[in-house]
Amino acid sequence: MRQTISSTLKTIWPEFHKRKKNVHLDSFYTFKDYWHLWSMSIFILAVTALIPLCIVTFIHYQLIQKSVDSELILRTERLTSNAKRSIIFFMEERLNALIFTVDELGYGQLTDNIKLAEILKNLKHGFGGLSDLSVIDTDGDQVAYAGPFNLEGKNYKDQPWFAQSLKNKYFISEVFTGYRDVPHIIIAVRSVKPDGSIFILRATLDTERLMQTLASYKTGSHTDIFLVNHKGVLQTPSIRYGDIFTQTDLKIHTYSMRTEVNISTSQGHRVILGHAFISTDMVTTPFIIVVNKDKDDLMQVWLEMRQKINWTVGISILLIVIVITFASTFMVNKLFQIDKTKAETMLQMEQNQQLASIGQLAAGVAHEINNPLAVINQTAGYVKDLFSFPEETRNDAELIENIDSILEAVDRCATITKQLLGFVRQFDIKIKKVSLKKIVFDVLSFHKKEAEYRGINVTVTIPDTIPDMETDSGKLQQILVNLINNAFQAVDEGCCLDIIGSQRDKETIEIVIQDTGCGIPEENLTKIHEPFFSTKQEKMGTGLGLSITYGLVKKLGGNISVHSTEGVGTSFTITLPVKIKEGTLA
Amino acid sequence: MQHIDILIIDDEEKFAAMLSKRIMLRGCRSLVCHNGQTALQWIREHHDSVTLILLDLQLPDIYGTEVLTGIKQVNPSVPVIILTGHGTEQDRKKCEALGAYLFIHKPLEIDRLMTILEQVKGTSK
Repeated sequence: MRQTISSTLKTIWPEFHKRKKNVHLDSFYTFKDYWHLWSMSIFILAVTALIPLCIVTFIHYQLIQKSVDSELILRTERLTSNAKRSIIFFMEERLNALIFTVDELGYGQLTDNIKLAEILKNLKHGFGGLSDLSVIDTDGDQVAYAGPFNLEGKNYKDQPWFAQSLKNKYFISEVFTGYRDVPHIIIAVRSVKPDGSIFILRATLDTERLMQTLASYKTGSHTDIFLVNHKGVLQTPSIRYGDIFTQTDLKIHTYSMRTEVNISTSQGHRVILGHAFISTDMVTTPFIIVVNKDKDDLMQVWLEMRQKINWTVGISILLIVIVITFASTFMVNKLFQIDKTKAETMLQMEQNQQLASIGQLAAGVAHEINNPLAVINQTAGYVKDLFSFPEETRNDAELIENIDSILEAVDRCATITKQLLGFVRQFDIKIKKVSLKKIVFDVLSFHKKEAEYRGINVTVTIPDTIPDMETDSGKLQQILVNLINNAFQAVDEGCCLDIIGSQRDKETIEIVIQDTGCGIPEENLTKIHEPFFSTKQEKMGTGLGLSITYGLVKKLGGNISVHSTEGVGTSFTITLPVKIKEGTLA
Repeated sequence: MQHIDILIIDDEEKFAAMLSKRIMLRGCRSLVCHNGQTALQWIREHHDSVTLILLDLQLPDIYGTEVLTGIKQVNPSVPVIILTGHGTEQDRKKCEALGAYLFIHKPLEIDRLMTILEQVKGTSK
């Protein structure tokens, strides 16, 4: 389970995050900074995808906000108008009843208390909302009274409403408490007695009934509907402003026939405020109906919807970002892998080219040295001849010995140039018959001195029965040079290096190069064939040796495997076909 | 014209001179040519008067292989030893195909040359 997770992580986790600095390789990359490329691609894709989404969401919000606002205003307006009509109807109905009573019965019948009580009873029965009736003459004296309060004989001359009633044919008062100490409204109708003097029929309206009418328009807990007078004093209780007679902060100055609605902020709340002046065709009243709706409460449904939209948008953004991140990572990683392969190939090409030019140089040097060597050889030989042929100097052993050592040195030089030339030839791809034993000894001859000096015991076990191989000798030589070089670097003084050749089957030859050196730690075993993996210090190795070797073995149609125990030693096993297949060499 | 045992065709004057002297010290006659044209000219004039020819592949005027072809046209039976400082495997094959007797890398051991000369003399007798 843990392994599955870690391997999944390995595939997801982009390779370029693990990229190590490598001065040799970095110059061949097309893109230098993959982190930057990755973050830029995520950024650009995310911006391109998210900006339209955000803009559309914003516009959508604005549209909804506007339509909700206008809907709320419309509804409030309708509610205010309806309530206004009801109140007007309520007032007019009662006023008309009084007008009818006055016109129909006249002063004579109205001043009869029994008759008046009967009329009150009928009015209460027919319309409701009236609590008492009284007839008052010009001096303010109450002439007749019907009702529950004991108000007979009262004089209203000093009451403000009385003056108003005398002035106007019809009059509706504000809410006030008056003598009875109960909030009420007065409706008064002015009429003329048979003798031509004025009298007033006054009815008291119960505010309870008015409040009920208003309450019937309440559409929800967030709707506050009440009456105020023109000075802004509450005429009915309000949820927001409190009890009756409380002074509100509402400022309604200009009289208008129309219902008006606006959105404002009051006491930290956004409110929709609708108001309308209540006036009938017959009489203006001191009332203004006010509908006060808490916008935030009304917006609750919309806010809940907006929250849903927010969630959806949020999750969409998250998804888009995740998808973009994954897609970008995948693409950039693929690009990196391609770029890496390209860079490695180019570096390998450059290395090969360098090797080839070093080879050319070596060949040139070898060529140029061979001719002077021949001259030295012949001249020394001639000097030797000069001393060997005459009788008297023939036995000068010391002289002959010195000349022989010159000749021997020339021979050694000749061997070196020959090997150099042989080494150069590996760049010409050519299949020919080669003896494995000879190639091994050729390669080892480069290390002869080092092995002697460091006391490394090199043994070669290659039976003569091994057939000559038909392969590219140059490449085989390079494989062996690389592996033997590595072995020499890995072993300490006095260690052993064994090179064992054997024929595995009719078509395959196996070469084992094993040392008793430091070994390779297990965690590095899988990496050693990777290009540029090196444990040698900076500038000591390019980390190319084993990867080139690996490539060469593959080119020769063979395989290479490695077994190593840290502190015990390492053994490389190469299997190669005896006869390379045509077309294998690139 | 005296019979020449070994004709040395080599542009490396010092080398040719030393080799020639050493051959003479061993009682044989030799002649040195420093370029291909002179050598070919000499052979055309004295094609029967030489036992063995030493030929360098890199000559200042013409390729050693051309000289070899020329010699073989005049006298196909004379053995020609190719002596080269840096001949390749292809050179060897080409020379062998053209009828070279031996293909030897420099430096040359005088004793080996004398042995070959004896062998050549022995077979021609």
